[in-house]
Amino acid sequence: MAESPALRQRAGKKKATITTPEPEDLTAPYTKVTSGPKYSKKAYGIAVTVLTALAFITRFYRISHPAEVVFDEVHFGKFAAYYIQRTYFFDVHPPFAKLLFGFVGWLIGFDGEFKFENIGDDYVKNNVPYVLMRALPATLGALTVPIVFGIMQEANYGLPACVLAASWVLFDNAHIAETRLILLDACLVFSMAFSIYAYVCFMRHSKTPFTRGWWMWLMLTGLGLSSVFSTKYVGLFTYFTIGVGVLFDLWRLLDVNHGLTLPQFGKHFAARAWGLIIMPFCIYLFWFWVHFTVLSKSGPGDDFMSPEFQATLSDNPLTASSVPVYYGDVITLQHKDTKAFLHSHPGRYPLRYEDGRVSSQGQQVTGYPFDDINNHWRIHPGSPVRVAGDAILNGDLFKLEHVQTNTILLTHDVASPNYPTNQEFTTVPIVDANAGRFNDTVFELRMEKGKPGQPWRTKAGLARIVAKQYGVAMWTQNTKPLPDWGFKQQEINGNKAITQPSNIWYPASVVGPAEAERLATEPKKEVKTVPFLKKWWELQTAMIRHNNALTSEHPYASWPGSWPFLSRGVSFWTKDATREQIYLLGNPVGWIIASSTLAVYAGIALAQALTERRGVKVLSERDGRRIWEVTGFFVLAWAAHWIPFWGMGRQLFLHHYLPGHLCSSLVLGAVVEFIGSRIHEKAARIIGNGHDARKFKEEMARGVGMEEVMVTGLLGVLVWTFWWFAPVTYGTPGLDVEGVLGRKWMSTWDLHFAK
Amino acid sequence: MANVEQHELKKRKVGSGTGEAVVTKLDAAPAMDHDEKKYAKVAMNAIAQESSLPDVYNPILPLLFTALALFTRLYRIGRSNIVTWDEAHFGKFGSHYLKREFYFDVHPPLGKMLVGLSGYLANYNGSFEFKSGEKYPEELDYVFMRVFNAMFGVLTVPLAYYTAAGLGFSPAAVWLVTLMVLCENSYATISRFILLDSMLLFFTFTTMFCLVQFHNQQPKPFGRKWWKWLILTGTSIGCVCSVKWVGLFATALVGIYTIDDLWQKFGDLKMPKVAYAKHWAARGAFLIVWPFLIYALNFYLHFTILENSGPGDAQMSSLFQANLKGTDLTSSPVEIMYGSRATIKNMGYGGGLLHSHVQTYPEGSQQQQITCYHHKDANNEWFFYPNRYEPEFSSEGELRNVRDGATIRLIHAQTGRNLHSHQVAAPVTKSAWEVSCYGNLTIGDDKDHWQVEIIDDLKHRDHSKLRTLTSAFRLRHPTLGCYLRAANVNLPQWGFKQVEVTCTKENDPKDVHTHWNVENHWNDKLPIGEAADYKSPFWRDFVHLNVAMMTSNNALVPDPDKQDDLASQAWQWPLAHVGLRMCSWDKNVVKYFLLGNPIVYWGSTASLGAFGLLVLWYLVRWQRSYQDLTRADFDHFHYAGFYPVLGWALHYIPFFIMGRVLYVHHYFPALWFAILTFGFVFDWLTRRLPGGAKVLVYGAAYVAVVGVFVYFSPVTFGMEGEAEKYKYLRWLRTWRIHGQE
Repeated sequence: MAESPALRQRAGKKKATITTPEPEDLTAPYTKVTSGPKYSKKAYGIAVTVLTALAFITRFYRISHPAEVVFDEVHFGKFAAYYIQRTYFFDVHPPFAKLLFGFVGWLIGFDGEFKFENIGDDYVKNNVPYVLMRALPATLGALTVPIVFGIMQEANYGLPACVLAASWVLFDNAHIAETRLILLDACLVFSMAFSIYAYVCFMRHSKTPFTRGWWMWLMLTGLGLSSVFSTKYVGLFTYFTIGVGVLFDLWRLLDVNHGLTLPQFGKHFAARAWGLIIMPFCIYLFWFWVHFTVLSKSGPGDDFMSPEFQATLSDNPLTASSVPVYYGDVITLQHKDTKAFLHSHPGRYPLRYEDGRVSSQGQQVTGYPFDDINNHWRIHPGSPVRVAGDAILNGDLFKLEHVQTNTILLTHDVASPNYPTNQEFTTVPIVDANAGRFNDTVFELRMEKGKPGQPWRTKAGLARIVAKQYGVAMWTQNTKPLPDWGFKQQEINGNKAITQPSNIWYPASVVGPAEAERLATEPKKEVKTVPFLKKWWELQTAMIRHNNALTSEHPYASWPGSWPFLSRGVSFWTKDATREQIYLLGNPVGWIIASSTLAVYAGIALAQALTERRGVKVLSERDGRRIWEVTGFFVLAWAAHWIPFWGMGRQLFLHHYLPGHLCSSLVLGAVVEFIGSRIHEKAARIIGNGHDARKFKEEMARGVGMEEVMVTGLLGVLVWTFWWFAPVTYGTPGLDVEGVLGRKWMSTWDLHFAK
Repeated sequence: MANVEQHELKKRKVGSGTGEAVVTKLDAAPAMDHDEKKYAKVAMNAIAQESSLPDVYNPILPLLFTALALFTRLYRIGRSNIVTWDEAHFGKFGSHYLKREFYFDVHPPLGKMLVGLSGYLANYNGSFEFKSGEKYPEELDYVFMRVFNAMFGVLTVPLAYYTAAGLGFSPAAVWLVTLMVLCENSYATISRFILLDSMLLFFTFTTMFCLVQFHNQQPKPFGRKWWKWLILTGTSIGCVCSVKWVGLFATALVGIYTIDDLWQKFGDLKMPKVAYAKHWAARGAFLIVWPFLIYALNFYLHFTILENSGPGDAQMSSLFQANLKGTDLTSSPVEIMYGSRATIKNMGYGGGLLHSHVQTYPEGSQQQQITCYHHKDANNEWFFYPNRYEPEFSSEGELRNVRDGATIRLIHAQTGRNLHSHQVAAPVTKSAWEVSCYGNLTIGDDKDHWQVEIIDDLKHRDHSKLRTLTSAFRLRHPTLGCYLRAANVNLPQWGFKQVEVTCTKENDPKDVHTHWNVENHWNDKLPIGEAADYKSPFWRDFVHLNVAMMTSNNALVPDPDKQDDLASQAWQWPLAHVGLRMCSWDKNVVKYFLLGNPIVYWGSTASLGAFGLLVLWYLVRWQRSYQDLTRADFDHFHYAGFYPVLGWALHYIPFFIMGRVLYVHHYFPALWFAILTFGFVFDWLTRRLPGGAKVLVYGAAYVAVVGVFVYFSPVTFGMEGEAEKYKYLRWLRTWRIHGQE
């Protein structure tokens, strides 16, 4: 679709080659051509004031209810608490909106002690200033309404279209429910709408490039964009939308008939690159810098980061209690992914497994997640070059002795209980180990990103433990425990795929007084610093990795195809005693009408493309361009905020469609105005036949037209449905069975208390 | 589509101004010369017109290339006498056709039927098991079967020649493209074995070839040759899709070309509306309906040939199985009694048998798993038992029918546990309840109860009794009010990728995924009933098998717990970053390493980037009003440049979003389009060179392509002895030509 406007433009160019070149008016589609303004500036002003007031009322109405943790407040409230306590945490979303919550919490004196652990935890009892924290998203949510109005107004739509689009967001139950809680979406939707607003304003300044207004709106567009994708990566869709618009615009500037020389064009290009790419990215990085600066203490997110990164956090166990390990020490070895300790006990492997395979009947070696005396292993040198008391270095060969049974760890070419392709681990008495089986007992220390000769330390010394003889790495997992004979503990086996990230172990502690002694003699460790960009890159890659891993199912997850017609909601909160519930659901009539409008647009666009192709001129040049370039831009925005979700593997929820819904509201306003004006024109042509058609048209333009009638009707239905669904949006009052069933318009809406 | 649109613009612009001369020439061409070949040359070959090189349509060169192809594809073809790589699968499938036993596979049947045909021609009786790495027996003429396969590989070479010629490349470029196909190590390697890939490649080549020929007939719509090539294009689409579903990408290419073409014709205001409608109708008939019929015909043949019961039975509906020869389904008692042992089949498309095994759910209730399984084993067997409120079943007692509305228990024969559901979310479809196997004869509760609702009976008017095969019934959970359902959703690895069984809260009597029928039925006290004489309709079987193929295909995802040394990732392919060991790397084995000719791979990949830059260059120049391209140039760019790139993208990019296990040979169809792009770009960039320089450049290219092929020929013709001998071929560390890891 993006190409199609070029078609019309080509026609202009053909003319240009014949007559004198005339620069194309880029702002043309954004200007109005009606004889006189039908609505005064004042009318717009009054409308936007009323809508904004209503927006604040609908967003703030009973905002203190429920005084409990609702849905994902569990996460985002908790993150705010972490910021306030300055303890490091990890999350897949960028920091901007979470920082805002932290900032607000800090301003109003929240101490961050309450950790928002469970849905339904009481705020009042725990003394959390939650109302003020919720006021932030509610304010942003309310301000989204005038922004939507502004987009339509700046794109030169009539007052009815502006009111319609803004009301579609104003009276939408999903927008309201989502923005009254401590969630990121209010910030996301607001900045997304603001970016579009700023871009439309920027386009209005196309005729006067490099003026103050032009620069200001360019920068504000960039600022808006950076805020969207510093909130959630969904912001990249907004970036794409505006990016396409900018490229399209640049392409026309490149046209030689536009009259720009290449250096002038270069200036345009550079200005946009600076304002829309470099500056937003720097702001994005800035938020990470703030993030790292605020979170200076060790916390629940440590484990996601590398040891070098963790060393930059104060009170980190790696920096605080890491000591070197020496030969002869008794240590515990912990598996990084499952936190299980290497363990052994006098039990033996059964001779035959259920599937008929045979074991060595050796002593069991398992993984056990609790502290136990059977987790103690003494480490011996595995080659003559080292003796007891030497430091253990990366690349060393060593042996492990199980202290309680005086046996030596080994692996051999026997299949493990659960994994026929992996090697069994067992232990044998020291005598046997020294006799024929020495080679089976020798393991090599391969430290993760280790330098040769680097000493092995507790906590920080991530390493693979590879059997020298067989080239298998010690491995365990906790999804498939051993049967009853193994006390349901974890199986330890030798994994042939050495490079797998789940093969990592580290020494958890040195048993006995040695640890404390060594710690005392350790030089006092400073909190280290790592260059910011390196830290950022590490966090960024970890975020992407974990985001992709969020594939598990959720009972209220939904697929993108179900969103536009609202076939599923999300249960946010319920209270059995009062039969109250918050169920995230859009305004059903609003969503269905807005989504249908997109189909209507597709019909109009197709008809326009087909007639144009056949050389029939139905619409005026300006109307045609408005259909493609302005309404088309809104449709592009909608598509960009919806289609990419189809390709995402992660959990998706209805609220991911809120930006898409906002875009479809813009399309609705535009299409209603278009249809209204077409009917209007048609009527003028028919009724005005014989009379002065133009005069008739002007008369009509002054009075109440088709558009106003349509808008009033639509608003009536919209407000009624909003009111009808308000109880599940605001979570009050409770509904009886009849009330719930009366709102269960679709069988797929799994509202509570329907029985 | 960007370029398509641009082409439109360009045409308009040129048509109104400077391009007049070219257009006239084009329009006048048929009048001047009625020889079609020459006409095509004038239209498409505008660039090569002044070339002094020999006529590309002279048959001597293509014959020579074909002869050389016989060498690259057949030389030493029988050297390795063991079952190599996926011959283990496709050879076996071929055997099933010879034995006429029903089997199941994720690929459509055409390729495998051709393998079967080759076996038939080789007088092979289908008795060999094709175990991987096993030596072929004396009586099996595997060399003939391989040669039969390799012929498809040989024929790609002349097809490459005529496709490039049809696209209007200069003769030198036509030879280059042909040489690149001829001396492509991976193509030569893959077509030497009993696999589907040589056929897939062949039909991909024919599709592009027919499309090009059809395009060259565009100036003479509805002429004899126009019809011929249209029908052949449709036939080719039908065949390529009947070998592997990857053929749908080739279909998409033809589809986009057709839309582009019809859109242009739509803008032709001079064309009569009837003619326009005729264009639509012709394409609808021969590019949609006709290929679909060919696809269906293949399945018809498949069902006709495989008339005996075999290993794939359980994938199909019970009714279909009942019509296979040698099935045990027809020797069951008819009416189900309490105490009967039976297998229960889901009636939805692609449905399997209700199954349980000792493994438990790792989450949810952690009780014993219930799945739908597509293979026959004892774990599919269930006893019909009375519910817990009724007197206990005794084998001595009177026989009682299981009737419509009865509340029963189903006891898993192998573990003695009851089919059970409870208010725990199902593992994948979280909105439904989990179904598990719980308790035993004495331990349990009323959540083990299921109410039989008979929906339909194929043979009997009376729906009150449950009967083998013919009764369709639903199982309702009386306590929860939900229905037992299986809808082709694969469980994760812990459930062995079998199909999830849930209890759905929706009561939709039309939902066939909640319909079940009894398949096998055993009860010693009952007489054996008559065979069901109700035939399962072809279209039903056709849809059923296709759905089952889709479900199995979705289950072919990489196992995160296992490291597959052979699998690769899509980004690695265009860079020839990895190869694939096709057999064991023992020193006594003739070793084949599936690796492309690096020059061809790297060259063709680079040409894709170069094409992008060329487009950008001309677009920017055009926007600045430089008149670089004539109308003929533009058309050449559009059809001979853009469409190959589109073909490459269509055959390559979808692999990035596919979840399944990927191997290097998945890139082979895309490579053909990349080679064509290379031919186009090379031709375009060299066409202004003076004669001498041209000879030099092309000469160097020929030598490089052939030379590297010869250098790497051991990986194609088989490496004997120690792999260390071929260490010198390991240009990249990732090519595991030698060594352990």
